[in-house]
Amino acid sequence: MNETREVFRNFPVWMQIAFYVAALGMTAFFIYGFYKKYKKYRKGRDADRFNNVAGRFMKALGMMTTNSTVFKRDIYAGFAHWLIFWGFIVMLIGTAIVMLDHDFIELFFHYRLLQGTFYLWFSLFMDIAGVGFIVGLLMMMFRRAKKPPQLNYERVDLKKEEYDRGAYKKDDKAFIWLLLIIAISGFMIEGLRIMSDGYPEFEVWSPVGWQVAHLMESTGLAAALGASLHMYIWWFHGIIVLIFIGYIPYSKAMHMLLDYANLMFVDDMAAKKLPRVSEEKQKEAMGYVKLEDFTWKELLDFDSCTKCGRCHVVCPANASGAPLSPRDIILDMRTFANSNGGGTAEWFNQSFTKEKGKPGDKKLAIAGDIISAETLWACTSCMACVEACPVGIEHLTTIVNLRRTLVEEGEMEDSLQDALMNIGDYGNSFGKSDRMRAKWTKELDFKIPDARKEEVDYLWFVGDFASYDVRVQELSRKVATILHNAGVSFGILYEGEKNSGNDVRRIGEEGLFEMLVEDNIETLSGANFKEIFTTDPHSFNTLKNEYPEFGGNYIVHHYTGLLLKLIGEGKIKLNNKLQHHATYHDPCYLGRYNGETVAPRELFNVMGVKLTEMPRNKENSFCCGAGGGRIWMDDSKLDKRPSEMRIEEALALDGVNTFIVACPKDYAMYSDAVKTSGNEDKMVVMDMIDLLEEAVLVDTDDASHVSMEIDS
Amino acid sequence: MNIIVPIKQVPDLVEELEIDSSGTGLDREWLKFKVNEFDDHALEEALLLKEEHGGTVTAIALDGGDIDKALFAAAAKGADRVVKVTGGGDTPSNHEAARMFANAIGGMDYDIVCTGVQSVEDRDGQLGVILARYLNVPQISVVTGVTVAGDKLTVIKEYGGGTVAEFETSMPVVLGIQAAREAPRYVPVAKVRRAMKSTELEEVSGGSADVNTGSHVNKMFKPEVAGGAEMISGSDDDMAARLAEIIKG
Repeated sequence: MNETREVFRNFPVWMQIAFYVAALGMTAFFIYGFYKKYKKYRKGRDADRFNNVAGRFMKALGMMTTNSTVFKRDIYAGFAHWLIFWGFIVMLIGTAIVMLDHDFIELFFHYRLLQGTFYLWFSLFMDIAGVGFIVGLLMMMFRRAKKPPQLNYERVDLKKEEYDRGAYKKDDKAFIWLLLIIAISGFMIEGLRIMSDGYPEFEVWSPVGWQVAHLMESTGLAAALGASLHMYIWWFHGIIVLIFIGYIPYSKAMHMLLDYANLMFVDDMAAKKLPRVSEEKQKEAMGYVKLEDFTWKELLDFDSCTKCGRCHVVCPANASGAPLSPRDIILDMRTFANSNGGGTAEWFNQSFTKEKGKPGDKKLAIAGDIISAETLWACTSCMACVEACPVGIEHLTTIVNLRRTLVEEGEMEDSLQDALMNIGDYGNSFGKSDRMRAKWTKELDFKIPDARKEEVDYLWFVGDFASYDVRVQELSRKVATILHNAGVSFGILYEGEKNSGNDVRRIGEEGLFEMLVEDNIETLSGANFKEIFTTDPHSFNTLKNEYPEFGGNYIVHHYTGLLLKLIGEGKIKLNNKLQHHATYHDPCYLGRYNGETVAPRELFNVMGVKLTEMPRNKENSFCCGAGGGRIWMDDSKLDKRPSEMRIEEALALDGVNTFIVACPKDYAMYSDAVKTSGNEDKMVVMDMIDLLEEAVLVDTDDASHVSMEIDS
Repeated sequence: MNIIVPIKQVPDLVEELEIDSSGTGLDREWLKFKVNEFDDHALEEALLLKEEHGGTVTAIALDGGDIDKALFAAAAKGADRVVKVTGGGDTPSNHEAARMFANAIGGMDYDIVCTGVQSVEDRDGQLGVILARYLNVPQISVVTGVTVAGDKLTVIKEYGGGTVAEFETSMPVVLGIQAAREAPRYVPVAKVRRAMKSTELEEVSGGSADVNTGSHVNKMFKPEVAGGAEMISGSDDDMAARLAEIIKG
C-alpha cells in the first residue's frame, strides 16, 4: 500500500477551478493590503535604519524564532505565543509543501513527494504542530477571559461614553476564532478521510486525525451528516483559510508580517539618543505637524502594535492616573496615519471621539488634538514603554517629536516655562545665578580644582540638582570628601558648567538643548581632564549617548562605577561592614537607559549591605516620576505620585527600612515621598554616598552610631 | 490696530547687587541685565490684542546690554517690527528714556503704546506717564485688562485695596500694563534663532535726551539690618501668654 493522500479527492473539476480562482483573488487582496501600507510608509521621512542590514536581519530572526521578546517577564503569554507561532509556521510550511507537490512537482515531473516514509513523518509533524497551535490558542483565550490589566482597553484620557473600543474586541475575537476554526476543521477533514478510507494502518501516523475519526464515528456525527461531509468540511476549512488570508493586512493579524520588519529596523539607541532636527527642517518647525514629518519607521511602529498592553501597564504616568497610555498614543497615531496617509483602513478600526472630529480632518493638530497636550506632558521619559515593547515600537521618540511642536507653540505649564527660561538665562533650572553653581564647595575644608585651569584625571560634571538643591548639596560634599581623601585627582567646571540638557531635550526644547550642548562642549574643550564622571544619571545619559553627535566624545562614568573601581584599586578603603538591610532603586537613566545595574549591587556587596530587591528592579525599575521635565510640572492632580507608589513597593519587603538611591533627582523625590506618604519613621532614604561614608569611617563607634539598627 | 511696546532692560536680581564707588548707583560691571518683567506683560497683552483684532506690534528698545537678543525674542514671539533706539547713555532716567522713546515713536503710526507699568529699577511707574505727555495722548496706568470696543478701548485699572475701575478711552493712548491676561508666552530657542535670521533689526536715533528735569539720587544704600525674630514655642497656653506679653509691651 502506498502511504499518501489524494488532494481534491472526489472533487469535480469545476470545484477545483473555483478554489484556485478564490485563492488567487484572496491572495491579490492580501497583496493589495500590504502594498497600500508600503505606499503609506513611503510617505514618511527617511530614517537611517539600513546600516548593517544582515546583522539586523539575523538579530530579528533570533528574536522572532525564539519569541524572546514575548517571553520576557511573561512566560505564560510567551509560551502560548510560541506554540501558536511555531504551530502556524509549521502548518504554513506543510501547506506550502502540499501545494508544491501537487501543483508543481506532480504536474510537471509526475512524481510525488508526499508519499511513503516522508509522508508519515510529515503527517505526524503536522498533527503535533496542530495540537500545539490549538493549545496555544486556548491558553490565550483563557488568559484573556481572566481580564488581565494589560488587556483592558479602557482609555485613561476619556470618559467611557466618549469612545467605543468594541471594534478592537471584535478584531481580537475574529483573529483567535478564525485560527481556532481553521485548526479544528483541519483535523476534522483528516479524521473524515481516515474514517472513509476504513482506518488504513499507516494513518496512525496522524494520531490526532485517527482519534477524531473514532470520535466522529462513535458519536454518530459523521453518519448523521452523510457521505458528503468530508467535502463540506473541506470547503468550509478552505473558505475560512482564504478569508483569513484576506483578513491579515486589515487587522491585528498584520503583526505576523510587519512586526518582524519592525524588530529588524529597531534602533538600539531609541530614546537614549533622540533624533536631531535637520537644518532644513529647523527653518520651518522643530516638531511634527503633518503625516510626512514622521519617519517611515514611526509609521511602521503605529501598525506594529498588537495591543498587548505591556507599555500600558508599566507606564508610571498611567499608573498614577495621568491621562497617558503609550499604547493609546500609538493606536491613535495609527488611526490618524491610516486616515491621512492613504493606508488601508482596518476592518476593525478605532474611531476618534466626536469631540476630536473625523480622523481625516486636516484641521486637527496632531500634537494637541489627536494626542492631547495633557497626554504628551504626562510622560516622564522613563523609557519603560520602549523597553517593555516586544515588537520594537519606539514610543518615546514619537512623544518627544510631538512635544517639540507643543514647545514651538509655547503650550506648556507656567512652571515648566519658568524652568526652561531659567535654564536659558542662567544655565540651571533653579533660577539662581550661574556664579553660585559651585557655592556648595565653600563648606569643604579643601578646594576642588578648577578643571579649566588645572589638569585633573576626572572631570566631575556635577549637574543642577547636585549643585543647587540644598539637600543634594550635602551629598555632593560627601562625594567630594571621599574622593579627596582617596587622593583622586578630580576637578569641576565651576560657573562654566551648564545644565547638561538631558531633560531639556526630552521636554522637546531642542533649540535650548543644542545651545546647552554647544556651551558645555566649548567649556569642556577648554578643560584639561582624562575622563568624566557624574552622580546624575540624566547628565550621564546625554553626555555619554548624545554629546558625541555634537562633537563631544568623552569617557563617561556614573559615580557608582567609579567608586567601585576606586575601592577595587584600594584607593578607597572600607573600614566597616555595614548592617543595613536595604533595597535599591535603579534610576531609569542608569539601569534601563544604560544597562548599569551591576556596579551599584557590587557596591552593596563589598560594603556588606544586605540587599532585598523590589519586584520591579534593574531594567524593569519603576520611575520616580521626575524625568522628562515632570519635576518642573504640577503633580498635584495625579491620583497617586509614582514616587509614593515606589516607596510602598519597598515597604512591602520584609525587614527593609533603607531605600537606597543613586541619582540626585531620586534623592529629592523620595525624600519628599516618604514624608508626604507618612512613612518617615518606616523608611529612610539614603544615597549610595551616604552608605560609603559610613563604610569608610575610621572610628567604628561612629559607624555604629550613624548606621541604623535593623535585622534583629 | 498698531501697537508699540517700549522695552527696557533692568538689572537681574539673581545676582548680588553692589553699590558703586560713587555711592549713588549700582556697580554695573558685575550686573546681568534682563527684560523688565512688566514689559514682558506689556508685550504679551499687545500680542494678544493683535491676535484678536489684527494689526501690527512693534517692539522698541533703547540700545545697550543684550538688547538685540531681547528684541529678537520679541520678534520670535510675534512682534512684526523690532526697533533699536540708539544714542542714549548707559543709565538713562525715566525722563530721558521717555524723551528718546517719544522722539522715536512720534513719527510712527500707532493706536496703543503698551509700556510695563513700572520696573524694578525705578518703582515709580513714571515712564509711561511722561511718554504720554511728550506724545500728547491720554495715559492709564496699572492696567490689568484691555478690550476693544469699536474705535474706543475699555480698560481695567487696578487701585490699591482691591478696587478696580473701568475706563473708556479713545486712541491713541499709552497704557501702563500691570499684568497681561495670560502669562507671557515661552519662546523656544529655535524660534529666536529663526527670528535672528529673518528679522530686520531697525535702528532709529533717539535724538536729544536733554530734558533738564527729574530727580537725582543723592545716596544709594542697602537696607539696614535691625531687630530679630523670636520663635515662640511651648504649650498653647505658654505661647498665648508670651504673645499677650509682647503685645502689651
